[in-house]
Amino acid sequence: MIRVLIVCSWGMSTSLLVDSMLTAAQARAIELSVEALSAGEYAEKVEACDVVLIAPQIRHLRKSIEKLAASVGKPVALIEPFHYATMNGQAVLEQTLGLLTGSPGGKATT
Amino acid sequence: MSSVIERSSDWFERYLVPPLSALASNVYLQAIRDAFVIFTLPLIIAGSLFLIIANPPIPALAKLIQPYYYDILVPYQLSFGLMALILAFGVAYSLAQYRRTEPVQPAILAMVLFLVATLPVTNLMNVTFGSVLPYFGGEGLLVGILIGIMSTEVMRWFRGSRFVIRLPKSVPRNVTRAFEALVPTFLLLTLVWAIEWFVSSHTVVEGGQTMQMTLPYLFMKVFEPLVVVQDSYPAALLEILLMMLLWSVGIHGMNVVTAIAAPFWFAVLASNAAHPTAAHGGIVTEPFFHIFTHLGGSGATWPLVIYMLRSRSAQLRTVGKVALGPAIFNINEPVTFGVPMALNPIMMIPFIGIPAIIVTINYLAFSLGLVHFPVLLQPFTVPVGISGFIATGGDIRGSLLQAVNLAVSAILYYPFFKAWERVLVARENEASQLEAARPTPVVAKVG
Repeated sequence: MIRVLIVCSWGMSTSLLVDSMLTAAQARAIELSVEALSAGEYAEKVEACDVVLIAPQIRHLRKSIEKLAASVGKPVALIEPFHYATMNGQAVLEQTLGLLTGSPGGKATT
Repeated sequence: MSSVIERSSDWFERYLVPPLSALASNVYLQAIRDAFVIFTLPLIIAGSLFLIIANPPIPALAKLIQPYYYDILVPYQLSFGLMALILAFGVAYSLAQYRRTEPVQPAILAMVLFLVATLPVTNLMNVTFGSVLPYFGGEGLLVGILIGIMSTEVMRWFRGSRFVIRLPKSVPRNVTRAFEALVPTFLLLTLVWAIEWFVSSHTVVEGGQTMQMTLPYLFMKVFEPLVVVQDSYPAALLEILLMMLLWSVGIHGMNVVTAIAAPFWFAVLASNAAHPTAAHGGIVTEPFFHIFTHLGGSGATWPLVIYMLRSRSAQLRTVGKVALGPAIFNINEPVTFGVPMALNPIMMIPFIGIPAIIVTINYLAFSLGLVHFPVLLQPFTVPVGISGFIATGGDIRGSLLQAVNLAVSAILYYPFFKAWERVLVARENEASQLEAARPTPVVAKVG
């Protein structure tokens, strides 16, 4: 089971991406759980996840989110804005898997 | 053309994003915003329902309800009306989450401290609930925020300091926690009570009645000029410009501005709700932006979605299909990051300018009394058309105002949309000629 946290602002638009990612995972028989939450909730729950993704509209919080993720050893990346815009769960799933294996597929912390 | 676009995007990224980011990532502002959105909004919205039942837009129905008016108001008064009390809890809780410390204890303490700050220090048997109720709502918001912040910060400081009661490791964690909280709880309780005692040793005359002064009363008097200044056209214009400037660099603008302006918006809204049938009311509130300005999402992008569906650019058609559903519920991240509007020098102009024009139209419409002032709060996801009717407490001209704004947006976006479409079509043609492959999405660089 891969547990993904998506840090966003109000979770309204991200919930669409979450559905799309779950569908993409199901098609590939990958066990996935995705939770969209605010930066505050993220700080509370970061330990209980495998991957942290950042929604583009809160990229101003990127540094503090990355710092916290790094302190507990979780991989983290910003979701590609165009993938977010088109709610491309397939692509974001690829990014997630890339982050887990550390391959260049996921643009990890720079 | 393309290189100009890229160069200006780089310029924005270098000079515009850092200061806006710094503002947006302030932890107190984030905690205040979370407290409003997560903790108080559901209660305000639910309470609003009872307010509209008590003040139905149909006169015959209003007459029928008249004998039960105050009975119907009770759920409103004890939800919407307790907004500041809940906010104190929410600010303390959210801030503790950001600070990564235990959130429940400071949040409960904040509620208790808020009560101590709000009730005059006297024989409480003589204090009527109705006399203090206004300070639990719109007039107590600033005190609620300050107490929430203080509660969490003081408790956090004590947790890391020597001044806590420590217990052996064998004691269960929850027991230890309760003892850790004891010293700061006692100190803060004493402090707030002492200040309130001093404040309420003074009397004020309000509405012909002599009463003891309280902390929320004092704060409200000090901040009243600010509340008045905020409820003006220049302030509304400044707020929309800041919102859209933030969104133009891809940062959630509504989110940031809400954190700063919400205490003022909700103070005005609460006073509107208290007198829903008055001749005049406050204007610059949350619905002023969410319901009457951000039609289809921040930037009033509803008409763009329609244009995109039939666009000659494959990228815009793709985005349009995804954007249609969310647009109905005023969500437009697909538009903002897909067209994209963010960091796009062509689309940034209308993206900032059109909402500013709409704000001007709205302010005129409300201040001239052409449309009833906003009284009700509803989720921003209520579709355009219905939401204008509800926000004004049942004035059909609220929906008409939205329609006018949509038309303005549709006309003014069109030339910019066409210009951007030409750029994209040219790029797509170029790409297909070069690779003879399917068109690749062209995105202004973000992040």
